[in-house]
Amino acid sequence: MSSIAPARIDVPVETVEAHPVGEKPKGGRGLVMTLVLAVVAIFWISPLALLVITAVRPLSDFIGNGPLSWPAEFTWSNFKDAWGIGNFATTYRNSALLALMKVPLGVLISAMLGFALAKLRMKFRRTVMFSVFLGLTIPIYIAIVPVFIMMRQAGATDSIFGLIGPYLAFGIPFEVLVLQSFFRQIPDEIIEAAKVDGAGDWRVFFTMILPLSLPALVTVAILDAVATWNEFLFALILLNSDAHKTIPVGLLNFQGQFANNNTGLAAGILIAVVPILIAYTLLQRWIVGGLTAGATKG
Amino acid sequence: MATIALPKPQVAKGKRGGRWSPWLFALPALVVYVAFLVYPALSSLFFSLTNWDGLSATYKFVGLENYFKLPSDPVVVTAVRNNLIWTVVTIAVPTVIGLLLAMALNGKVHGKPILRLVFYTPAVLPLVSIASIWGWLYNPQYGAINSFLKLIGLDGLAQPWLGQDSTALWAVMVPAIWLRTGFPMLLYLAALQGIPNELYEAATVDGATKWQQFWHVTMPSLRPAHYIVLALSLIDSFKVFDMIYAMTYGGPGTSTQVLGTWMYFNVFQYYQAGYGTAIAVVITLVAIAVGIPYVRSQTKEAS
Repeated sequence: MSSIAPARIDVPVETVEAHPVGEKPKGGRGLVMTLVLAVVAIFWISPLALLVITAVRPLSDFIGNGPLSWPAEFTWSNFKDAWGIGNFATTYRNSALLALMKVPLGVLISAMLGFALAKLRMKFRRTVMFSVFLGLTIPIYIAIVPVFIMMRQAGATDSIFGLIGPYLAFGIPFEVLVLQSFFRQIPDEIIEAAKVDGAGDWRVFFTMILPLSLPALVTVAILDAVATWNEFLFALILLNSDAHKTIPVGLLNFQGQFANNNTGLAAGILIAVVPILIAYTLLQRWIVGGLTAGATKG
Repeated sequence: MATIALPKPQVAKGKRGGRWSPWLFALPALVVYVAFLVYPALSSLFFSLTNWDGLSATYKFVGLENYFKLPSDPVVVTAVRNNLIWTVVTIAVPTVIGLLLAMALNGKVHGKPILRLVFYTPAVLPLVSIASIWGWLYNPQYGAINSFLKLIGLDGLAQPWLGQDSTALWAVMVPAIWLRTGFPMLLYLAALQGIPNELYEAATVDGATKWQQFWHVTMPSLRPAHYIVLALSLIDSFKVFDMIYAMTYGGPGTSTQVLGTWMYFNVFQYYQAGYGTAIAVVITLVAIAVGIPYVRSQTKEAS
């Protein structure tokens, strides 16, 4: 699972304001720079733009006029073909189900551990912390053979349930790192006040810590959902029947079958990435805030 | 509870839960972490000392034999070389482009939110889909890249990018760069916005040129960002697997094998689980070694 670890999360902030205070982009240099960046941006996004253009044209048109031409004709049939042959109804359901089970559970247990590390007096706290953070550096390959054996013994290969354990374990280091640093910023006084009123650790956790940390929890959940949705290696090894594949593994299969159908392939790739693209566009404020908060500290 | 004489007068002394309470919070995550990460990692260490084929019920303990075999395996030599090239290129290029984009976006520019959105977009896509997209762009016959080269009159440069030893690894690195530029850009952009304007004003008063300002104001202020970018890229670069697997499958021949894919092939194709896990152990040790300073700094910060 890709691990992007900011050292600290504050409330997601819009980070687009121009740095030189009071300077508005105007005329001359600003315009030139904007043009240069716009050209770079068009170039940057061109693979996706080409993908969209190719997905909505008939194959004959694509082959006849070449990949860089504007479509002479538009069609939706590529999507219909790709959806059926690519088994996307199934892979979508599997990926969504997996994320729905894994993400909330992962965030909850990571938040609990983060709370213990940040706010409770725990023996071996530093050792636990170091061991858990060390997980950020551990590549998945080191675990695949034993996990495969473990799952085979448990009869959990070829089932998305078998993925939950490994996904949780490899997500924990990042989630704990981010959450504990957020919890740390909650003043001890308000916790102590609650304790004086007779609240136990659990009540403090559920009625104070979690609600106060909502922005961090949301950011972590989003990043974790993206990582879960995209994970490939464990899914490749543990799932083998088409009925149980997730989106990335399904897409790889599909790519093989559509090698000679460029327009269908483009449509299939789009089907696989559109939900992520939509989610990213809508939620980018949270993602950007979470990723960058660590960079600004001194 | 007689816990008053403690050095740190931290949070309430767990009056209710007692001293076991923290462990109740920690346990679920720790159990999962140990069961599915620590334990498998340690048993891999054990398997790497055996001649297990991955299927039979029995295997023999062979000591360090698998490790001694590594240097004489020509594919391991190729893979190590590829890993090194991959690491250097996919850290250096995205970091430099990311910094340049961040500096441009931090200046007087229109439409920043859109530009930022565009440049970060590749980073949220599944690696497999990025591999598919670029595999399709590189297609020798119908791919957009060769078509573009022909369009601008460079027919001679059109070639099977992924299909020949000389270009395959570089061709796979291009999408990796595409994907990995967004993160440094975001991080640098946030860091640049945190540099107080007074520093630049003072430098201007002192007669510093733009170039001097960059080296003496901007770069030193970005040190924490450099550190995070470098540490996380290093950890990430070493784990490369998905892109190579999905784009070239290690080929043509074995020219784009990296340690991650070669490990996979040994375990799941050639039934040499012992040897394959030895490769995994080597990658892991290197990844831990480069990651430890970062992990240590994070732990220290939290204590």
